[in-house]
Amino acid sequence: MAAVVEAKNITKAFGGVKAVDDVSVSVEAGEIHAVVGENGAGKSTLMRILSGIEFPDSGQVLVDGKEIDNSAKASIDAGISLVHQELSLVPEMTVAENIYLGGFPTTAGFTNRKEMKKFAQETLDEIGVSVDIDERISRLSVALRQFVEIARAIARKPKVLILDEPTASLTPAETDYLLAMLGRLAKQGLAIIYISHRIPEVFTLCHNVTILRDGKLVYVSEIKKTTPQEVINQMVGRELKLDLESRRDAKPGDVVLSAVGIKAPGVNNVDLEVRAGEIVGLGGLVGAGRTEFIRAIIGADNKTAGNVYITVDGKKNQITSYMSAMRNGVAYVPEERRVDGLAMTMSVSDNVYLPNRKDLAGNGIINPGKAAKVAKELADRVGLRPPEIKREAGQYSGGNQQKIVIAKWLHQRPSFIVLDEPTRGVDVGAKAEIHRLVKELADLGTAVLVVSSDLPELLELSDVIHVVRDGKIMGTLDGAEADEKKVMGLAAGESLVK
Amino acid sequence: MAQAPEEKPEKNSRGTIEWFAENGIFVFTAVLILAAAIFVNGFASLQNITDVFHRAAPIGIVAVGMTFVVISGNYLDLSVVAQVATAAVIMIAVSNEYGYFAAVLAAMLAAIIYAVVNGVAVGYFKANAVIVTLSTTYIGLGLLRLLSGGSIFFGPPDGALAQFGAGKLGPIPYSALVLVLMTVILAFVLNRTNFGFTVRSFGVNERATRLGGTNTGLVIIGAFLVTSLSAMIAGFVLAAFSNTAVSAMSTGYDFQALAAIIVGGTSVFGGKGSVLRTLLGVIFVSVLSNVLVLLNIGFGYQQMALGALIALAVAVDALARRAGKK
Repeated sequence: MAAVVEAKNITKAFGGVKAVDDVSVSVEAGEIHAVVGENGAGKSTLMRILSGIEFPDSGQVLVDGKEIDNSAKASIDAGISLVHQELSLVPEMTVAENIYLGGFPTTAGFTNRKEMKKFAQETLDEIGVSVDIDERISRLSVALRQFVEIARAIARKPKVLILDEPTASLTPAETDYLLAMLGRLAKQGLAIIYISHRIPEVFTLCHNVTILRDGKLVYVSEIKKTTPQEVINQMVGRELKLDLESRRDAKPGDVVLSAVGIKAPGVNNVDLEVRAGEIVGLGGLVGAGRTEFIRAIIGADNKTAGNVYITVDGKKNQITSYMSAMRNGVAYVPEERRVDGLAMTMSVSDNVYLPNRKDLAGNGIINPGKAAKVAKELADRVGLRPPEIKREAGQYSGGNQQKIVIAKWLHQRPSFIVLDEPTRGVDVGAKAEIHRLVKELADLGTAVLVVSSDLPELLELSDVIHVVRDGKIMGTLDGAEADEKKVMGLAAGESLVK
Repeated sequence: MAQAPEEKPEKNSRGTIEWFAENGIFVFTAVLILAAAIFVNGFASLQNITDVFHRAAPIGIVAVGMTFVVISGNYLDLSVVAQVATAAVIMIAVSNEYGYFAAVLAAMLAAIIYAVVNGVAVGYFKANAVIVTLSTTYIGLGLLRLLSGGSIFFGPPDGALAQFGAGKLGPIPYSALVLVLMTVILAFVLNRTNFGFTVRSFGVNERATRLGGTNTGLVIIGAFLVTSLSAMIAGFVLAAFSNTAVSAMSTGYDFQALAAIIVGGTSVFGGKGSVLRTLLGVIFVSVLSNVLVLLNIGFGYQQMALGALIALAVAVDALARRAGKK
């Protein structure tokens, strides 16, 4: 069968560094083709070239055997539709309006709201997602936004659909739903290019896999003829054990954090205790209220009821604001590192300096030598690569950026650290290192709270797992005895999407 | 343990536009001064050059101070117009009656009130800085007119203020020294203090700055306070210069200061820039208008030239920002 879309010998360099180096990929109708690789391997650049957003230095993109021009419009017209990794919906517009933006034909420049809604509803029905088309995007969960994003891409009636890490923020149930949807679309003849870090998904869904490493194509295979271990080895270029059983021996000490009767929007009367040296995991579906809960306990957002206490060196202090939380050694690694975590155009050194400035400069006068020395130590400790503290944070990949966010809090050992989705969108190598750091912190006596939608991660890290649903803790599992089924049983309750 | 591959440095990929936005002002200032010295009659005299600095000083002092508000990502403080005039009127009117010490205290009180009103509205109530300071400009100017009765105040011709206004250290007028001193002090505050750090950091990412343990409202009030105190000192210098004060004496200072800041290469989007750049921007704009005057080019053309210059600087800033995002 002939290929629907074909990339031939694509090369693209950024300032002398080849991001994509002589890569060819072809996908047939009805085929789901996985493109995998670590962060910085060139996947996203290749996809941006396919969708005409980026221009290759050499090589061609062909659709149905015909070469297409290098422009976003030419790609869309030829039938290539990209679902962005970073959501590109307009939050203040409705579902219907957003889908309309994606591909509804305009008539004489006027919008017909009735037609628009009908079109949006049909598109959503086609992919089997039930959501109120008049609801604003900003009021939808991350998962539903992802589905609307896909609906928008499908609305253009593409021949080729490209998805870049579509499950990064989805729970297992939502992921399963998405995979089933993609399987259906492929059966109807759509060619799908699927970029993911998540190896099990690739093996559930895809027919073929292409692996990129350092911009080069290193491996192509039918899924049937390869193994997850082989794919991971090819991705990282060396042997790497699937290390899910590297749990540590926890020796929990005294209670450090105690939160009683917390209420906030989306949080319904939650109690929580975390002990020194203990890692507590918060499992549950996206939208269950976990982020709202942790932000309420550390004072990053307001709570409507409840009390929070931190005990440091035998002294119990009430937390009434984010500032008082920080004074008591609370550290927060937020879910959205680009928005809440990092000043992207500032250096690594400056980013690390921010929360430590009162300690590093008691009189308010900066000592650049001291600041640089501390930044260097922290960069080494978290394994930042390359460890150039003068570089802007935004120039690093997702995994390295997350290491910088964690490094911010390591100068003074925190009494209590909260990590919200600490490895979302992070490559395999960085993920292992971040897990190592989290365990190291707990071993040193910090009370650790991890929110994660990544089940293997939750199971690997947690000594205790609380599962949250509808803003309440629905059950508590011992980390050693928990498994994916038990967590999901508590988390799911009822299905998010029909 | 897995080792992630080294990420390639992207230094080479920084484009011409970004280089231009960052370093253009240094090159342009040097070229302009050199060209003026060679081609423009009367430019390269000591008298002319001290005159340029003398005239540039009040606006320059406002501009280096206002750089703090711009870097914090809050566009500008329009109310410097009212603040400069207020400080000048207070300096002469109050000192005539009660002496310099009382005048300085009263002016500082006024500056602090401006900073707190602007800063609280912008920092805590998240109001738009342009609208807030537009309103405080009119309230402030109106109040000043009411209290001063719209009259012109004259200082005693042999008073300390008048002597300062005419004073020189060697060939350099005191006003220029004040500008340089303010630049040095504010550069230190911006680059080497925790307060200055949070101003810059707030301009890049407000939420990350807050989560890094910062009372961001106080940071914004601080940025407005630096601007207000600078405007006050500019008012003193201006009053000393002419030994008179009137409520309309600083018309146009808001946009002229902003022009110098932008031409210096400080980003109107916040986060990027420096006090030294603003000083260069002030020098560039002042030298340019001096050259146009010496060449007998009409005031209308001068205004158009300044407008075109700002548009160019903003365009370069916006292009650099877009290039940086890729």
